[in-house]
Amino acid sequence: MRTFLLILVAICVLPIVVRPVIATEIWIFAIFGLGLNLLLGYTGLLSFGQSTFFGSAAYVAGWLLKHYGINVFFALGIGVGVGALSALLVGYLCVQRSGLYFIMLTFALNQLFYFIAYQWTSVTGGEDGMQGVPRPTLLALDFKDPMVYYVFVSALFVLSLWVMKRIVESPLGRILQAIRENEVRAAAVGYHAPRFKLLAFVVGGAFSGLAGVLYAMLFGIVPLEAIGFVFSGNVVFATLIGGSGSLYGPIIGSFVFIWLSESMSVVWARWPLLLGVAFVIVVLFFRGGVVEAWHRLAEKFEQWRSSRPAT
Amino acid sequence: MLYALMGLGLALVTGVLNIPNFAHGALFAVGAYLLVSLVGVMGNFWIGLVVAPLGVALLGLVIEYAGIRRLYAAGHDYQLLFTFGLALIIPEVIILVWGPVGISHLPPPALRGGVDLGFTFYPKYRLFVMVMAGLLILLTWLFLERTKYGAIMRAGIENKEMVSLLGIDIHRLFTVAFALGAYLAGIAGALIAPIRGLSPQMGADMLGVAFVVVALGGLGNLLGAIAAGLIIGVAQAIVAGHWTEASQAVIFAVMAAVLLVRPQGLFGIR
Repeated sequence: MRTFLLILVAICVLPIVVRPVIATEIWIFAIFGLGLNLLLGYTGLLSFGQSTFFGSAAYVAGWLLKHYGINVFFALGIGVGVGALSALLVGYLCVQRSGLYFIMLTFALNQLFYFIAYQWTSVTGGEDGMQGVPRPTLLALDFKDPMVYYVFVSALFVLSLWVMKRIVESPLGRILQAIRENEVRAAAVGYHAPRFKLLAFVVGGAFSGLAGVLYAMLFGIVPLEAIGFVFSGNVVFATLIGGSGSLYGPIIGSFVFIWLSESMSVVWARWPLLLGVAFVIVVLFFRGGVVEAWHRLAEKFEQWRSSRPAT
Repeated sequence: MLYALMGLGLALVTGVLNIPNFAHGALFAVGAYLLVSLVGVMGNFWIGLVVAPLGVALLGLVIEYAGIRRLYAAGHDYQLLFTFGLALIIPEVIILVWGPVGISHLPPPALRGGVDLGFTFYPKYRLFVMVMAGLLILLTWLFLERTKYGAIMRAGIENKEMVSLLGIDIHRLFTVAFALGAYLAGIAGALIAPIRGLSPQMGADMLGVAFVVVALGGLGNLLGAIAAGLIIGVAQAIVAGHWTEASQAVIFAVMAAVLLVRPQGLFGIR
């Protein structure tokens, strides 16, 4: 309950502290992270291909929004469906393997989708991305107002969080955790592990799909990067630094990650370099606690910024 | 052939260190860029071809020693993230040093032009690359199969605890395997530079291919990786002739198709 209140406070405070667009992006990324965390944190599957579902959903829904002007809820539904369906396809191939193999397969299939999106320029726009995805008006709500859209996304985030909480606390969630702890034993008591892994994959894909559509509507574009492997890596990174063991880890991770990448992209055009360095530094020195890492990094960043002459 | 070379290097690293090395593609790109720079400075392709992969191997050595080694206790997820971070850093460094625009590079004068094979006309340089790659694969194979250290390395793939119990410095083994994998990636990059040209993102494309090769060949199976590399190369060449746009996607499609039938990979046992 206290965490829930904390999240509500965060939702209220965030758009005051940062631009609404970034605030919105944080919650979208948190939904994306929730989906991954069901796999990584609860089932023990490190999927390196989450952007497959994110990107596919964004492309399909974006295309329908653009050319057929569909309803927002319909678009979100399509996104969830596409995310789940693509996760079913990819998951079917991947869940039969575990460990390293699983990671590499999710990655390789991610590349398959990436190259399809890259080459199929008539639909996806290739390297330029799919541009001009509209944000249609729903009833009296004008989503073109960033704040209205922000409220809409945060409401969806709270809904997603609630659904995810129900899932991980349900018998299904327990079975997934049993598989994570000891797959052989879970199989011995009668659970068909691959089938449950696939189910986790599909649910995770649905969350990714939802996030993908929201992302497309937020920026009005589906960039090619949204289906690239770096994007998959980013969400893994965010979830891990937030703490994959807990339901709320991805939320913290999303905060840290979006904040890091946003502040870096302002600083320097070569910001992926800084992001990579942040990856390495976090992994090498700040594995232990996110909160600790957060404080130390923020301190250093502030020091660095104050030492710089004001421009 | 080059796919086999990339796959072999990655299979070594993945097999011995038990991590999917996301920086493998970036090391490949570094190999290509180093070659071009060395040729520019020394004016000699051959020196570049020898030195560039060694430079990449050295880089691999540093990466393993300064980074991955410190993360053994932290677990695979973090080692993987570490290599992923490197995969982000290295292309950006390449952009900083060599610029964002792709570079084309000519083969050395002696290898320009083509040879008439009777039925078809084939560029000399491509023949040279095939021979070189074949030679390197053979040498690596001989090293692994016929030398004592190669045997230790194969044993390390099979059972790490047992190897270290036998009094072998497993950490040094990891370092050597990583450096060797980096060397193979580097030389593949150096060899491909005159064929495909260079771009900062060349590593990312190759990384996917290398993963496919390892997954197809069966994890921890080095010969499988070689065979899978050849299969992928041929499949891509055939498709590229008929439907150019699909030439990248086909690699992954082949993998998906094979894994539907044989989930353990073509030659995998595990």
